[in-house]
Amino acid sequence: MKALTANRLSDGEVVFWKDGAWVERLSEAQVFSDEAGAGEAEASARTQRTVVIDPYLIDLVDSAGFWAPVSYRERIRALGPTNHELHGKQAEGGGAVEALRQAHGAARSSGRVNLIRRK
Amino acid sequence: MYRYDAIDRAVLADRTAEFRDQVRRRLAGELTEDQFKPLRLMNGLYLQLHAYMLRVAVPYGSLNPVQMRALADIARRFDRGYGHFTTRTNIQFNWVKLADAPDILDALAAVDLHAIQTSGNCIRNVTADPYAGAAADELEDPRVWCEAIRQWSSLHPEFSFLPRKFKIAVTASPRDRTAAKVHDIGLLLRRGRDGETGFEVIVGGGMGRTPYVGPTIRTYLPSDRLFSYLEAILRVYNRHGRRDNIYKARIKILVAALGAEAFAREVEAEWEKIGPEGDLPRAEIDRIGAAFTNPDFVADPASGDFEARRAAEPAFARFVRNNLKAHIRPGYGIVDISLKGIGETPGDISADQMDLVADLAERFGQGDIRSTHEQNLVLPHVRLEHVHEVWKALDAAGLATPNINLISDIIACPGLDYCALANARAICVAQDIARRFEAPDRAEAIGEFKIKISGCINACGHHHVGHIGILGVDKKGEEFYQLTLGGSGAEDAAVGKMLGPALPIDRVTDAVEAIVDAYLRERREGERFLDTLRRTGDAPFKEAVYAEAH
Repeated sequence: MKALTANRLSDGEVVFWKDGAWVERLSEAQVFSDEAGAGEAEASARTQRTVVIDPYLIDLVDSAGFWAPVSYRERIRALGPTNHELHGKQAEGGGAVEALRQAHGAARSSGRVNLIRRK
Repeated sequence: MYRYDAIDRAVLADRTAEFRDQVRRRLAGELTEDQFKPLRLMNGLYLQLHAYMLRVAVPYGSLNPVQMRALADIARRFDRGYGHFTTRTNIQFNWVKLADAPDILDALAAVDLHAIQTSGNCIRNVTADPYAGAAADELEDPRVWCEAIRQWSSLHPEFSFLPRKFKIAVTASPRDRTAAKVHDIGLLLRRGRDGETGFEVIVGGGMGRTPYVGPTIRTYLPSDRLFSYLEAILRVYNRHGRRDNIYKARIKILVAALGAEAFAREVEAEWEKIGPEGDLPRAEIDRIGAAFTNPDFVADPASGDFEARRAAEPAFARFVRNNLKAHIRPGYGIVDISLKGIGETPGDISADQMDLVADLAERFGQGDIRSTHEQNLVLPHVRLEHVHEVWKALDAAGLATPNINLISDIIACPGLDYCALANARAICVAQDIARRFEAPDRAEAIGEFKIKISGCINACGHHHVGHIGILGVDKKGEEFYQLTLGGSGAEDAAVGKMLGPALPIDRVTDAVEAIVDAYLRERREGERFLDTLRRTGDAPFKEAVYAEAH
């Protein structure tokens, strides 16, 4: 399963694709079960150049009934920094946040290529 | 400290107005991200994991109270009430909105600060000894040269598009508190045989994926010839530095490829061509130097009840032992402010704490504040009779941890909690180690011990020069940590050697403790950890860390 993520242009906020628009919580994101649908959404997202920066697909796994990113890096993006638990989306708490915290299966993000150039 | 003149202020006003228009055009879709990114980076604005990050230059680590309060105000208005001091002595704000960035730059410009050249392939903020102008062992104040370099390198047209970023350090003390030998250029102020001052010039040090301790290419450069020589070095680098591979583009790679002697010959030949016309007139150096005249020191001030309180209050005595350094003037001291509270994020400081530091600098510290590359702050000029009051105020605000140069005074980069480049977290590793060694008696018994942690091979956390260096790596998708031993960023600079296989995150603190215990078993009278390690080699430490695994 996959989700589509990016950073919002205006404030850098981590956002997720949902039916042509963007939401801030992974728990509200559109989840793709097929490559074609995910690829189509990514292509569409890339045209939203004044809304988001650098959209890319991430892999998801099931964690306690919620979808969580496979990649550790993406889980930190979806939660917020682990040194400030009141910063980022994790501050809201709740089941979806806890599921992300408990998720396993860390792996490199598929979106991480040529990072030093992309920064 | 140096104050901007009308020209400096006009340049900054133009620059922020230009960036405001660039942001407007980006948000309106008139600029693509590819077009805009280099423009925002030239103004210190990065996109990190959770938000934009603005890196503000703190010129050679020098701030006045007005500037510190302005940073506090920015932290409150535009961030989440805090800032983060970096290993480049700069400050970063981690939660900046793009639309707010021009207003932040205006707020910075109002107090003579900016974010120019905190990114990009240009000459970055110069590192100076944080004790400059105060250190008892100093030859002369290196900030005069730092300021001259700042003016020379700011928006320098020839050196704005170098093969890669470029960092210069200047120190005038035998104790190197700048990590000069792992900078692109390290300038060590020396006294010549003629009694004049000059520089030992070190070129091609660096960390990152290819660490080097820089070689000396000139043992003595008369100080009045500094700028033509810097220009010669930069020209040789600009001409021959690699632009085809970002990982081989730093000057250290060029110096290593040519060899230090051949590189020096190239520089000397170029220097000959430039000649003395490339140097700053003495009158200009004197003009800049006039801004760094000593503050209003009192001759032989009374030390009040400093000694009595030190004898009566063990906690104050501990602070004095670890956080107060000898000043060049009798009756004064240099106060180190630790941004390494146990369990806190190294380098983080809240807006309220910034205000307090500004107040203390104003009331007791001649209005002078320094940031260090070890992510702490310094009040360089405090009368001994005021140290107790300063300590009480710092302690109440959580800024008096008596751990300078001790095992919990850890450098850590932002790591995977914030940085788009990181492979692993660094902050939580630092926090865990600091908690393990929280007991101050134990930390003092261990003595000088520098742990430096980076979340990736770019080495912003200086792990290569840590007595223990800890490098976060991504091993089959998990956070693992590679330990190195024996590094030093001081005058005895060295690159640490890898100890053995990388460890999972939950074994790192145990491994550090095993190394410390082995050191305490092995050490002889008066030895620091580094001294013991250099005598014994790494075998006892390797065994201590890995024995259990077999």
